[in-house]
Amino acid sequence: MSARNRELLALIPASLLVTVGFAAVFIQEDDLISDASLTYGGVFLGLCFVAHLIIRFTLPDADPYLFPLVALLACFGLVMIYRIDETLAREQAQWFVIGLIVFAATILLLRRDYRVLERYRYTIALLGIVLLLLPRVPGIGAQVNGAYLGIDLGPIAFQPAELAKICIIVFLASYLRDTRQMLVQGARRFAGITFPPLKHLGPLLVVWGAAMVLLVFIRDLGSSLMFFGAFLAILYVATDRASFVVIGFSMFAFGAWFFASTVGHVADRIDAWQHPFDDELYDQVGGSYQIAQSLFAQADGGVAGAGFGQALIETPGGGPILPAAQTDLIYALITNELGLAGACGVLVVYLLITERGMRIAMLAQDSFSTLLAAGLSAVFALQVFVIVGGVVKLIPLTGVTLPFISYGGSSIVANFLLVALLLLISDRARREAVGG
Amino acid sequence: MVEPASVALKFAFLAILYLFLLWVARSALKDLRRETVVAGPSATPRSPVPPPDATGLHSAAQGVGMGGDSPRLVITSVPGHQPGAAYDLTGDCTLGRGDVEIHLEDPFASGRHARLTRQGSVIVLEDLGSTNGTYLNEEPVQGPQPLHPGDRIRIGDSIFTFEDS
Repeated sequence: MSARNRELLALIPASLLVTVGFAAVFIQEDDLISDASLTYGGVFLGLCFVAHLIIRFTLPDADPYLFPLVALLACFGLVMIYRIDETLAREQAQWFVIGLIVFAATILLLRRDYRVLERYRYTIALLGIVLLLLPRVPGIGAQVNGAYLGIDLGPIAFQPAELAKICIIVFLASYLRDTRQMLVQGARRFAGITFPPLKHLGPLLVVWGAAMVLLVFIRDLGSSLMFFGAFLAILYVATDRASFVVIGFSMFAFGAWFFASTVGHVADRIDAWQHPFDDELYDQVGGSYQIAQSLFAQADGGVAGAGFGQALIETPGGGPILPAAQTDLIYALITNELGLAGACGVLVVYLLITERGMRIAMLAQDSFSTLLAAGLSAVFALQVFVIVGGVVKLIPLTGVTLPFISYGGSSIVANFLLVALLLLISDRARREAVGG
Repeated sequence: MVEPASVALKFAFLAILYLFLLWVARSALKDLRRETVVAGPSATPRSPVPPPDATGLHSAAQGVGMGGDSPRLVITSVPGHQPGAAYDLTGDCTLGRGDVEIHLEDPFASGRHARLTRQGSVIVLEDLGSTNGTYLNEEPVQGPQPLHPGDRIRIGDSIFTFEDS
């Protein structure tokens, strides 16, 4: 079976899931079995089919599983958000369509050679940094729970960090492609660990500094960890030196500890993370209320879950029981309604997407493509780690979205852009691998 | 009547999800296994047709049988390339970082760095005025130099071995 036919076949289960999910939600809410869910499934399949045709005609050799896996996640998101609020789901569906348009545009624009991105690397890096700092600009920046992650332009609110992550990865991949040789040379071994020469630690220090500035400026440990982790991943792929990763993480841990004990907002988050059930912290504004409720919701799910539409997200009076259920805590809602089984399924989807991404990196013939694919997969995986880790109280909870599932336009659009880039790299790599 | 339907749908959802994941994971594993087979030298199928492109990169293991009559440039250590792979030198070719026959991803390589030309039965190496020089057995190359089997050519961090049989 050709790669594209396999992709087409794999879209069918994803659409079936939409149908089943919507049917279950309908039954719960209206006490009737309606055929409207079939319409939703059909529309979803239609949209995916259009995207599939675009891939079929422009990137015939691209990885066959990446897009169906993404469609599956989007389907999870649509069902869950529909279950929370019908209007939100309609907006999410619109964003899904816009995401697909961006996806198609990216593929069509960069189809000949995505490596032109390398030529604009400094422009792209600047764009990324500007995007990251936008939320701090007075007037358009919006502070949510103490972190500066979103901007608000009247009708449009979006999280620039989502787009910035792609810009930063493109820049790092092209920058490290040129300098990796320099980083490896002159390394010396001491006590069994290979240390890079001191003068070449410069770039590492600069990026570490940037991550720390980010931590202070946007006050978000999660996105800071996401960016720095992705940087270390690319650096490791580029130089094959585990010492960079060890040194980098120690530096990050030190910096995070330092700011956690000095910056008020970060310290509050850490407290809420360590003692979510503390009475005082629970009642505090921006306290541990969110994380505590998230843990209750997940525990309520059990192994097989409560079923679609069964989780309590609002008290009969209208007060929220599970706050931010459609964005930050959507993973807790999935665990509540589909149980451990459903939540693990979601995590396996992310795992498989990352696996496909790393495979694309391994197949790629030139180092820019390898580094770009590895970096994009790493940042994707880390984003999932940061938000899921936060929701299950492994790390402090932060306001990063769950890719393709959380409600939010910028997240969907940016992640479709990311997947489009991976498919572009994959198409070239697989064609070259087959064609010799 | 609604309650059992709802439960059934939930389990149907989970079942479809897991069957799908199983299918994708299985093909991923199959991909990996296929790759190990191809990578093993003993199982490599020998290409029945010689490569049409004179400098097409292909595995050295593949060229053992049929490449006996043409000189080759074997990759000893080149960033981004598999050691042991080889370029068949059937025509003239240029090495460098630019758009040339043997493309090097080496920060110390110039755009058009060095040139290999065939003169009768010998292959001649010539530096094309590169910034960082070309080294033949660790000696800087000045003027055209004939190559002998086993010679090491170094450009920046990229090292090739010349083979002829």
